[in-house]
Amino acid sequence: MRSSIVFFLICAVIGAVVFGIARLIDNDYLFFAGYVVLQYIVLATAWNILGGYTGYVNFGSAAFFALGAYASVFLYKIYPPLPIPALILIGAVISGIVGLGMGYLTLRLRGAFFAIATLALAVVLQTLITNWTYLGGARGAYVIRPIDVPLIGPYMQYLCLLMLGLVVIALTVARSIERSRLGLGFAAIRDDELAAEASGVPTLKLKLIATTISGAIMGMAGAPFPYYLGYVQPQSAFAFDYAVNSIAMPMIGGTTSWVGPLIGAILLGSLQQVANVTPLAQVNLLIVGLLIVDCVIIAPNGILGLVQRRRTARPFAADPAVFALLFAVNVIPIYFLHELELSQRTLEVIFWAILIFLAFARGRLVGHPWLVALPIAAAVLGVVPGPSWLWLVAAFALTVALVLGLALRPGAPEPLAQGKAR
Amino acid sequence: MTALLTIENLGKRFGGFIALDGIGLTVNTGERVGLIGPNGSGKSTLVNCISGTLANETGTVHFDGAPMNGLTAHQRTRAGLARSFQLPRPFATLTVAENLQVPLLYTVNARAGTHLSAAEIDARCAELLVLVGLADKAGEHPRDLTQVEMRKLELARALAADPKLLIADEAMAGLSHSEVVDIVALLIRLNERGITIILIEHIMRAVMKFSQRLIVLVSGKKIADGMPDAVIRDPAVERAYIGQ
Repeated sequence: MRSSIVFFLICAVIGAVVFGIARLIDNDYLFFAGYVVLQYIVLATAWNILGGYTGYVNFGSAAFFALGAYASVFLYKIYPPLPIPALILIGAVISGIVGLGMGYLTLRLRGAFFAIATLALAVVLQTLITNWTYLGGARGAYVIRPIDVPLIGPYMQYLCLLMLGLVVIALTVARSIERSRLGLGFAAIRDDELAAEASGVPTLKLKLIATTISGAIMGMAGAPFPYYLGYVQPQSAFAFDYAVNSIAMPMIGGTTSWVGPLIGAILLGSLQQVANVTPLAQVNLLIVGLLIVDCVIIAPNGILGLVQRRRTARPFAADPAVFALLFAVNVIPIYFLHELELSQRTLEVIFWAILIFLAFARGRLVGHPWLVALPIAAAVLGVVPGPSWLWLVAAFALTVALVLGLALRPGAPEPLAQGKAR
Repeated sequence: MTALLTIENLGKRFGGFIALDGIGLTVNTGERVGLIGPNGSGKSTLVNCISGTLANETGTVHFDGAPMNGLTAHQRTRAGLARSFQLPRPFATLTVAENLQVPLLYTVNARAGTHLSAAEIDARCAELLVLVGLADKAGEHPRDLTQVEMRKLELARALAADPKLLIADEAMAGLSHSEVVDIVALLIRLNERGITIILIEHIMRAVMKFSQRLIVLVSGKKIADGMPDAVIRDPAVERAYIGQ
């Protein structure tokens, strides 16, 4: 309990510092994009409470998010001047109750069946909202928001600050659950529900607690959403992005700890925001998709898993075909990005880093650690301004790294062993 | 002697297959009972019906004077009825010590009148691990344990619930001679501490050494119940195992 309070305070201080720095930078777009990233941290953390801790994959995150958003719209229609913190609270209660109800109806299902049931909930709710004309129906609903807020200034900054507060709350809740009796019970359910029940864990009750908390936090994330753009429609509130991202982010970061969704959401969320404004708009999806593929292959247990037990995990570089394929596809975005000005190629760094990491892992495995020098050389040549033939040298270095990585095999059997066999 | 577990006319069917057919048996407080029977005779189904993993269709289970019908598995565990699984089912992402904390926190601490502090829970964990011989493995994950150690963990986790009745479902399958001797000695020691034990086992040497009373199931029916020496000489039991 005391450690949770300390954690909450530390998070709050970090949040305040981040907000202060963002204000110093004084760029409206920073707040506009930052809001989305923060929102994803809350959603991913909420998803992880059910999906990561108890192992029940929820595909209906968008439903809980939209419930929070539409609860705000409803309240705006009947009683406009409610402050957003109150809306957040109401959104949390409504989504929490729906989470409890959904849990009660669906938690007897396991695995894929539970996932399908949650997806169905999202579809049913979206149909309901689309046909509810009072809430704008398919046309969507407008919310008139003030231009600025006393003490803070621009309204967007106020929304960001609120979302930052929600991040702090969500992370504190997730971390306290993880370290409590509840978290141990959740982990037991995730690992083996039958054995958990035999050890005295009231599995149904715990799963209901998980769906309620998870739903409530998602509803909190959705409540300020109508005020973000001043407009909300079913297609944007129930967007499949929310369902996919709130699963992908914890998976990329690691699902067993509160740190995982935080890392995943910051990485993937900011990447999506940066990719959105990269001139090559068509390449955005490729970049984000490719990074998800990289993560799944290189770090199947998330980035946390990669950091925690690098040694016991089966090295992905052991299979030359996997290495070659990964290496080759990660060159593709570099080729596209290379058309742009140097200042617009920030994302290129990520892919160079991945190529270097791939060569490093493969090189260490086959006993030729110098392999890593090739992509490093290519990266340097590819980035420095100079005559265009430098790029050809870089491409050549990459090709050599690929071919050598494919051709070199882990050390041949000792000659002594061969002699013995004969 | 008082009856701790009373089962009357217990029946369970899976579709058209009758797994348990009117089983009736009594286990007294402090007793060591062996339960044997050929493969598919319904031993595990009986355990599942007693522990609440499966719901029986007919008959009643009374434990410690209270009816168990309709109670969920965790409620029965809290009532003092613990079981180990035939195939070890450890919590894979938790350490060995955390595996034991689950029943300590959710069963022992859930009982009225007991509340162990964090230090007491750690002490209990350590004590149980010493008891089963896993003291040096407390911080490891189940995937790093051997098969024998996994079975010991399974037993320790059942014991952590501080049960009145322990049902050990094939705790010794696949173990070597000396390991079987170890586990039998452990079970007898536990019994001397006051835990009533039902042992389900195929290894006859272990069953004969352990059991004060032997119950035989064949095709979902109880065909024998009595002193071990007498039971294994019973013609019906011989017929079930060896054939005519």
